[in-house]
Amino acid sequence: MKKCKNEDLIDNYLLNKLTEEKKQEFEAHYFNCPVCFEKMVERDEMLTAIKYKGDTIFRDIETEREVEHSPILENVWAFFTPKQWALAAVTAAVLLVVVLGVIPTITTTSPQFFVNDDLVRGGSIRLISPVISVDVIPSQFRWESLGEDVEYKIEIYNHELLWSATTSDNYIALPLEVKERMVTGEKYSWQVKAFSAEGTLIAVSSRVQFPVTK
Amino acid sequence: MRSEDNLSINTSADIIGAVKETKRPQFDLEEIIAKYRPIVSFRVKKSLGSHTPDWEDVVNEIMVNVLEKLNKGEFRGDSSIGTFIFTITSRRIIDFIRQKSKVLKYAPEPNPYPSPYEHIENKERAEITAKAIEKLKPKYKKILYLYYYKELSREEVAQKLGISPRRVSERVNYAQKLLRKMMKK
Repeated sequence: MKKCKNEDLIDNYLLNKLTEEKKQEFEAHYFNCPVCFEKMVERDEMLTAIKYKGDTIFRDIETEREVEHSPILENVWAFFTPKQWALAAVTAAVLLVVVLGVIPTITTTSPQFFVNDDLVRGGSIRLISPVISVDVIPSQFRWESLGEDVEYKIEIYNHELLWSATTSDNYIALPLEVKERMVTGEKYSWQVKAFSAEGTLIAVSSRVQFPVTK
Repeated sequence: MRSEDNLSINTSADIIGAVKETKRPQFDLEEIIAKYRPIVSFRVKKSLGSHTPDWEDVVNEIMVNVLEKLNKGEFRGDSSIGTFIFTITSRRIIDFIRQKSKVLKYAPEPNPYPSPYEHIENKERAEITAKAIEKLKPKYKKILYLYYYKELSREEVAQKLGISPRRVSERVNYAQKLLRKMMKK
């Protein structure tokens, strides 16, 4: 069947959706265009059957719609196009996988860090003081507590290990003899390691420098 | 009102015979009637509604008028013959509505979907078309349902089905093509 650029108007003409001006233009057109007239007659025949037998023809679709679409659901459904709904579903599925699958894995896996070139799994300890330069040799070292039944090992370094001690508190007083070996103008660093009651290394702090200024 | 004269005008020969020949026709009148009578009928039915009992008389009057004017040489070729007949048809429809308005106070409301059950032939045709539509695949049936039965716009149908408006037109045209094939069988 041949084509005419005006044949898009056929449906709107038959459904009375054209403005009066457009309607008259199209009527004048189909008096001169056998292609449009032939298609219009054929379309009109289909439309007439649909209008008068539609309740029978589309009975299954109507029933399906009544069951599927309550007014509220219909409004919700109309909010997005099916493509957008599909995208939303995929996004929701990905989020679900992340929340249920990936995040628990992240939280249950302990951070990894190195101690003396050995890979260690465990938590970290936050050092409280000293963490910046100090004017005088500090008398006490303090860090964040990891709870009960934890043994801490503190190590103070100059260029090499200067002193090491263990305690179950989250602080320790620097013994006088060690304090006397430390001098102003030097850079020192310290680190704390935590061990469980069974003696397993469970956490390590970073090694923090504290220069003793003059 | 259906006149006695118009009742007897049913064929091309009747219409040509009813025209008082004053000039030798420059046109093949039979061909003009064969080609334009269906178009004029469609336009009249669309404007007046096929429930208007006089619509066939109006069509006959128009065709007689067209031939008379052609014989009198009133068609000078300024426009196409189609436009010439369209103009005569439009004027007669307006006259008819004006006449009816005087009697009925209000003009008859055009019926966009003439009932197919007025003529037994149309009824049968509508039944066959309806059965063919019922046999279409759901995706074609659904588009006919939304576009023609529910009268949603092309864009609304597109949004409901998640396809482009152009695809809606293509699907409607394809459904029509399938129906054409089914009806030919």
